[in-house]
Amino acid sequence: MKSPTTTTGVGGGPWHWLMQDTMEGLRRRRALLGYLFLLPTLLGIFVFTAGPVFVSFGLSFFQWNIFKPPDFIGLENFERLLEDRRVIIGLVNTLKFTVLAVTSQVAIGLILALAVHRINRIWLRYYFRTAFFLPLLMSGASVAVFMGYIFHKEFGPLNYYLTLLGIPQIPWLTSSDLVMISIAIISAWRNMGFTFLIFLGGLSNLSQEVLDAADVDGAQGLRRLWSVTIPLLSPQILFAMVTGVIGALQVFDEPYIMTRGGPGNASRTLVMVMYEHAFKHIEFGYGSAIAIVVFLMILVMAIVQMWLWRNRVFYQ
Amino acid sequence: MSADKKLSRRDLLKLAGAGSAGLVMSGLPVKVIAQDMVTIKVQTAGLGDNSLQPVADIQMARNPNVNVEWVVLTGIDHEEVAAKILALVAAGESIDVGYAATEACQLFAGQGLAAPLDDRITGDPDQDFWTDFFSDVHPSLVEAMMYEGSLYEPPRDFNAANMYFNTNVLAENGFDVPGPNWTKDDFVEIARGTTKKDDAGNTEVFGYGWTNRLWGSWMPWIFVAGGNLYTEERAPGGEWVWDGYYEGDMAAEGRGGGLRWQTPIANSSEVVEALELVVDLWKEGVTPDIGMGTGQTLTGFYATGKLTMTPAGGFWAGRLANEGMEKGDFDVQLWPAWRNQKHQFGTGGHWLSNTSNAPDEAWEFMKIEVSHEGFQSSIFFNPVIITTPARRSYSQKDAYESTGPANSDVFYDTLDEHPSTAPIPAPPWSNPMTTIFTTYTGFATSGEMEPQQALDEMQAELESLTNREGRKYYQE
Repeated sequence: MKSPTTTTGVGGGPWHWLMQDTMEGLRRRRALLGYLFLLPTLLGIFVFTAGPVFVSFGLSFFQWNIFKPPDFIGLENFERLLEDRRVIIGLVNTLKFTVLAVTSQVAIGLILALAVHRINRIWLRYYFRTAFFLPLLMSGASVAVFMGYIFHKEFGPLNYYLTLLGIPQIPWLTSSDLVMISIAIISAWRNMGFTFLIFLGGLSNLSQEVLDAADVDGAQGLRRLWSVTIPLLSPQILFAMVTGVIGALQVFDEPYIMTRGGPGNASRTLVMVMYEHAFKHIEFGYGSAIAIVVFLMILVMAIVQMWLWRNRVFYQ
Repeated sequence: MSADKKLSRRDLLKLAGAGSAGLVMSGLPVKVIAQDMVTIKVQTAGLGDNSLQPVADIQMARNPNVNVEWVVLTGIDHEEVAAKILALVAAGESIDVGYAATEACQLFAGQGLAAPLDDRITGDPDQDFWTDFFSDVHPSLVEAMMYEGSLYEPPRDFNAANMYFNTNVLAENGFDVPGPNWTKDDFVEIARGTTKKDDAGNTEVFGYGWTNRLWGSWMPWIFVAGGNLYTEERAPGGEWVWDGYYEGDMAAEGRGGGLRWQTPIANSSEVVEALELVVDLWKEGVTPDIGMGTGQTLTGFYATGKLTMTPAGGFWAGRLANEGMEKGDFDVQLWPAWRNQKHQFGTGGHWLSNTSNAPDEAWEFMKIEVSHEGFQSSIFFNPVIITTPARRSYSQKDAYESTGPANSDVFYDTLDEHPSTAPIPAPPWSNPMTTIFTTYTGFATSGEMEPQQALDEMQAELESLTNREGRKYYQE
């Protein structure tokens, strides 16, 4: 049996540092194995995510219509987007959607999680868990298509039932004032299953000692929810907010399929403006400049959220 | 190796290596044979199993060394399919044959992505084929596929905006299908006369419905009002086709080398009047809220008797039949006259890529598609018409025998009897133009802007776009 400290092995070969029969060699081999396991994922990220981000950043300084070689134009694309009314409108619409959609999906997800957590019958709990999560498994495109029918002003089932209650037909998708709210409702319906599951998981892991202590101190009902449960769920809330905001800032499927940004520009989002310029108007440089703005916006908002919540997140 | 010996990891790796080597070796002869095969990549919408398979079958039967591969691209409208083709090209992918409607044809031609077909047609030893083809296709369709003097696509199909009627709703309200000389005022009377509202004022049956897009939409009203989004001029050239194949055809006289759309006139009084007409009908509740898209939603409402009239072309005959409408439940008529009866159309066909590695085989595919054999086997025209055939002989009454409409003559009459019929405005920058058009249409039809204001702003954006793009395309 070899001693773990002996330095026998491959002598002075090129793999000497790795093949040493020492604790250090073993550690290196384990580390190498770890990196090898990570390699496919890292390659995927580099090729499909980081790579395009770098290429897009470079392209934003060019004018390129794919038919002719790119022309370097410096910061012109960025100057243009500052004056582009559609970009400004897209930005405002995106922020409006983000606030509406993320707030609703976090709030509804939390309410549903609290309700389901109180159900004692396991099968019923499974049923609701599955039911609330199912919409998330559908593609954004298919949700947009059938929601387009449901929310149709004149022929949609939603307005049909509302009119039975004496409520006049609501132009959900054809009114400039309502369209973004409608899209946020649809998005929240689809995504609340995710926040619901996160909160349900969080509720299941709450410290019983803390909850019992709250009981002893007389904290009941809303007081306990506000002062104990929600603070204890703060890591899940932060996670749901950050991932929700990241997703919402990239909203595309629902408005593109249901309204194509209309009526007028009322539901045109920043990613839609980027898509239109890059792929429909064949301005890949300008489209990339808009993509960089979206990227920076996501980055800044994620950092801001982390910073704002820094003193409000309690890890048990 | 004994039978009971376990396979070690090392042995497994050895076996896997040997197996892989064997597979590579066994694949070599296949590769040698495959080198004789010519593969062409054809873009298709993937309708059904594959909409173009019959054409490929004909070609592969004639030439077993040709293999046709499909590049399936779908889209809500033609502009989206064009955008996907561009994305494909940007990603370094290539196609040999692509499908494009008028507007994308101008873009691909203008950017040099599509190859001109003039020499292939004039140099084809089988001139009888082309004489027969052009004698069967209206010259306006051919001209719409020309760019700066050259032809880029032999037209396969077209759709002019005609007016469809739900005959049951008409009859319930005491109306007949109007004659070909009906007017805008007749239209308004029928639209108002067939609209039904409930006690709360909600419309239950709409007299007229349309969707916000470039083709169809309210564009037919712009044309009959005497307006357009752009001035329409003719590019020089094209004599080779007009003198060579259309000599003596009155409909070909005065045609050039394609159309140029150079000066925006979107806020002219005619266009404003046209928009006011459709906005007023919407405000009255005669028209439902205007959505985006190709009218799929309207098809259902029409088929269930909730809509009297809508703009559509021959493609609707098959679509309505597929929705369960019986022959006689619907009919069609020319677009009503206003200041004129100029109709709009869009035409489609396949283009040959300039970067094709097998241009001769790709061209053979295109030629088969527009041949009699191609038309007779095409799923677009058999068993029911789902888009109007560009060849006159396949757009006759018998083609609509099983589905209707009774007035199916109007589809080709729109071209033959109305020489002013012209393509939708389709400059090579039609994608951004369409975005501007549908955006401001949306402003007006949602009540956010008055028609005049919406069109003034549309005009300003079109001018800016044309200044930026126009000079890249048209020769002086």
